[in-house]
Amino acid sequence: MNNSYVGIDVGSISTKGVILDNNNKILASVYLWTEGNPISAVKKIIKSLELQIKGKNIVIKGIGVTGSARKLIGTILGANIVKNEITAHAVGTISIHPDVKTILEIGGQDSKIIIIEDGIVVDYAMNTLCAAGTGAFLSSQAKRLGVDVKEFGNIALESKKPTKIAARCTVFAESDLVHKAQIGYKKEDIIAGLCNAVVNNYLNNVAKEKKIKAPIVFQGGVSKNEGVVKAFEKELNEKVYVDECGHLTGAIGIAILSKKENSNIEFNLNIENIKFENKGVECKKCPNNCDIICIYKDNTLIDSWGNKCEKGDSIQPANVNQV
Amino acid sequence: MNNKNTTIGIPKALLYYKYNDLWESFFNELGINVLYSPETNNEILERGKSLSIDESCLALKIFMGHVDYLVNKVDYILIPRIECLKKHEKLCTNFYALYDIVNNIFNTKILNYNIDVKKGKTEKKAFIQIGKSLNKSHVEILTAYNIAKNVFKESKKQRYFDQLNLLNTSTKNKILIVSHPYNTYDKLIGEPIIKLLKKQNTDIIYCDVFDEEEIKNKHTHISDKVYWTYSKELLGGLVNYYKHIDGIILLTVFPCGPDSLTNEMCMSKINLPIINIIIDELSGEAGLQTRIESFIDIVNEKKKVKNN
Amino acid sequence: MKKKIISFPHMGNYYIPIKYLLTKLTNCDIMLSPPITKKTLELGSKYSPDFVCIPFKYNLGNYIESLENGANILMQCGGGCRYGYYAEVQQQILKGLGYNFEFYSLTENDKLAAISMYRMFKKINKKLSIVKFLYYTILTLKMISYMDKIDIYIRANIGFEEEEKSFENLLKEMHKDLESTKGFIHLRKTYIKYNKLFRKIKLNKPSNCLKIGIIGELYTCMEPFSNYFLEKNLAKMNVEISRRTNVTYLVIKKRFNTKKILRECGNYCKYTIGADGTDNVSEARMLAKKGYDGLIHTKPFGCTPEIGAMSILQKVSKKEKIPILYFTFDSHTSEEGIKTRLEAFYDMIKMRRENNE
Repeated sequence: MNNSYVGIDVGSISTKGVILDNNNKILASVYLWTEGNPISAVKKIIKSLELQIKGKNIVIKGIGVTGSARKLIGTILGANIVKNEITAHAVGTISIHPDVKTILEIGGQDSKIIIIEDGIVVDYAMNTLCAAGTGAFLSSQAKRLGVDVKEFGNIALESKKPTKIAARCTVFAESDLVHKAQIGYKKEDIIAGLCNAVVNNYLNNVAKEKKIKAPIVFQGGVSKNEGVVKAFEKELNEKVYVDECGHLTGAIGIAILSKKENSNIEFNLNIENIKFENKGVECKKCPNNCDIICIYKDNTLIDSWGNKCEKGDSIQPANVNQV
Repeated sequence: MNNKNTTIGIPKALLYYKYNDLWESFFNELGINVLYSPETNNEILERGKSLSIDESCLALKIFMGHVDYLVNKVDYILIPRIECLKKHEKLCTNFYALYDIVNNIFNTKILNYNIDVKKGKTEKKAFIQIGKSLNKSHVEILTAYNIAKNVFKESKKQRYFDQLNLLNTSTKNKILIVSHPYNTYDKLIGEPIIKLLKKQNTDIIYCDVFDEEEIKNKHTHISDKVYWTYSKELLGGLVNYYKHIDGIILLTVFPCGPDSLTNEMCMSKINLPIINIIIDELSGEAGLQTRIESFIDIVNEKKKVKNN
Repeated sequence: MKKKIISFPHMGNYYIPIKYLLTKLTNCDIMLSPPITKKTLELGSKYSPDFVCIPFKYNLGNYIESLENGANILMQCGGGCRYGYYAEVQQQILKGLGYNFEFYSLTENDKLAAISMYRMFKKINKKLSIVKFLYYTILTLKMISYMDKIDIYIRANIGFEEEEKSFENLLKEMHKDLESTKGFIHLRKTYIKYNKLFRKIKLNKPSNCLKIGIIGELYTCMEPFSNYFLEKNLAKMNVEISRRTNVTYLVIKKRFNTKKILRECGNYCKYTIGADGTDNVSEARMLAKKGYDGLIHTKPFGCTPEIGAMSILQKVSKKEKIPILYFTFDSHTSEEGIKTRLEAFYDMIKMRRENNE
């Protein structure tokens, strides 16, 4: 029997899953859209992972969950570790690039930078202000320009003279973009300008004051955009690595972390036929109106959270049916 | 130090727009070369942005860009530190921290003076401080300071006189710009707005041009409790010109602390066409033109109503 | 004549001494503003100027909720930066909303001085003697200083209590007792009693636990709602927490230690940089020297003095090799984002520690 470890990364836009063996080799992996329903996404992920390892002599000795819905999914899967995506990404990337010094990441909703020295995280930062310069921002601008966001990278590479776009704030950027398009700038120049703006915004905001040292790895959905990659390389004057499996690093990282927990339990992945339900209950006992999330497994409450004060204690978990 | 070769760099930003007449003639009298950074341009803005904390006030970011331009071009960069100019008054804390911010970000020699009147550190003492660090004698410094002070007063008086003249003779719409001079006269912040206004056939009245005696205590009509010297001056100027103008533009850079509150007081107490333009790090002028044009339309409409 | 009802904005647990002082010095009813909730912030943000800092919005929300409950005298006692100018603007906004009330500010020209405070209380209570005023003001300050002392002990140890909520419950008892303070001797007895009780709470604290210092702007440091219960979340991670910023420090200690604080900044500051910026630079340097594992800096969005301090803190962090996590709070800060950053910060300092051992 070979020990193996499951890592799940549940993001707002996509969900990723991997199974690693004892040497951190990927035995199975899957990537799909979350579509606003993390539970069904994870069920699909687990099913697909199971299919991939079927017949191999494998026992699951750990399950780790990361990403924005980590708590919910962690409860459902009975994970032995639930951790934030910054740590998971760092650990995952280090396992692929042991000598990495800087990780740049631009995802759907947020962006971050992680600085690594001798294989440990020594500094990191996330975007603070708003979604300007993230994947969601690029998609909305693409729509505005009538271009498929997947084409963005290639179109940007055609530009010889990128237009300057103010991208500090989504609202300002949009009005600037419309204005530039109206006064007749070429589409490819505007798109290249947007890619530059994303990079400048990132370097001036998220990566401010951080010493970006090579080797540099770039991850997250936006890393698939060639235009942004080229803009980074030009600004930083360094090679920027983008991995084929860059989207999986969070899941890989959390699987490795679950291995480190040295758990002796055997995990069961058979959740397909179990009915999970999460109900949001709004506590009306004070104007905070906390959203209390209750998780049911086959109609029994297994966990709940989201409560800010004692007033809501009575709502969770035992008395929830009375509300 | 050999003064013949000493060059002082002055960043063309922030307090330059308030005190340059004083600085220029002071250094001139002492026979010291001065190098100014150029008018704010995109490169300076970009450098400033990359050197500053993201949330900093835009004027401070621009200042950093100007300092960066001067580094390695001059022997000293002039960075004043001002906490208090009059008893019971203060300045925005950016002026307290200016020296230390620059000193921590740049590796350059700074010619520094400190004014904190409530602790007895007057402007005169501050100028003696810089004169001494340039190896000048007490007499030389005081002579230069007195001459500079006179030049400064005269130039202020002249500007005020010219503005009064304009007010009396102008037949166009008169628009008052209420803004700190480092915004109003900056190439990237105020100038595009002034250009757009002039295109609309208006005369511009500057709130920061005033006679100190005349505006004394006038700020109380808008705000009784305000304690920032520069805000008091602007509000006093506003009240002073109030009866002679047709519209007001409050020009603010994001996210100015004092303005965030005084603007609210202005908006709630002023009964003239008024707009608040907030400048962030915009590179484009999109929207600005529309706002200015529609504002002038409002001014014209109001005037018509009044004249009928 | 209508009964006078005084109310004031919240900040942490300081409503206890403030209520005590107002009860003793005025003959009005004292109304506590309802505890801060999301609604408070929504109300405050709705009527505040666009980019004013967040304490203004919380205060304004508190006022509106109090006025709705029948208060007719409001007080403001902020100072140190643009906080000192809140009063006039808030008064103007609330008048504009059609409320009828009197408004008093404890600070004048951004300074808190005994004489102007006395003059203000005299307006509310014409019979107030200077002796009575001084007696209860000093007694209240003493109460605050005892509360702050206890809080320092709690902060350092609450992450290690054996039995959950033992600190929280005892603190509630202490607050109840403080409300019925009779005089200096009685106050001191209460303090000694609780000081002993707190130290008796069983702890499970390793000698090499992780240590985090909290620095930054005063309101976001001291009002837990505004920082999304930062200290509570840190305690859950079993961390020793230290925070110098409290009312005792700001009102008393800071005044007498300006030079020492500036000295503690070393080469990082030549002058005071405004509000509490200098204090935070000195604290950051001192905690780094004491071997703290990390610092958390909190501030409202657009806080000028703390933004100034940040450009210096970044250098402190690099040179003194202490990681600093910066939090900016405004009305649309995402709580999830705060938690993720906090967790990652904890993971990071833990890894750093393990690597150094």
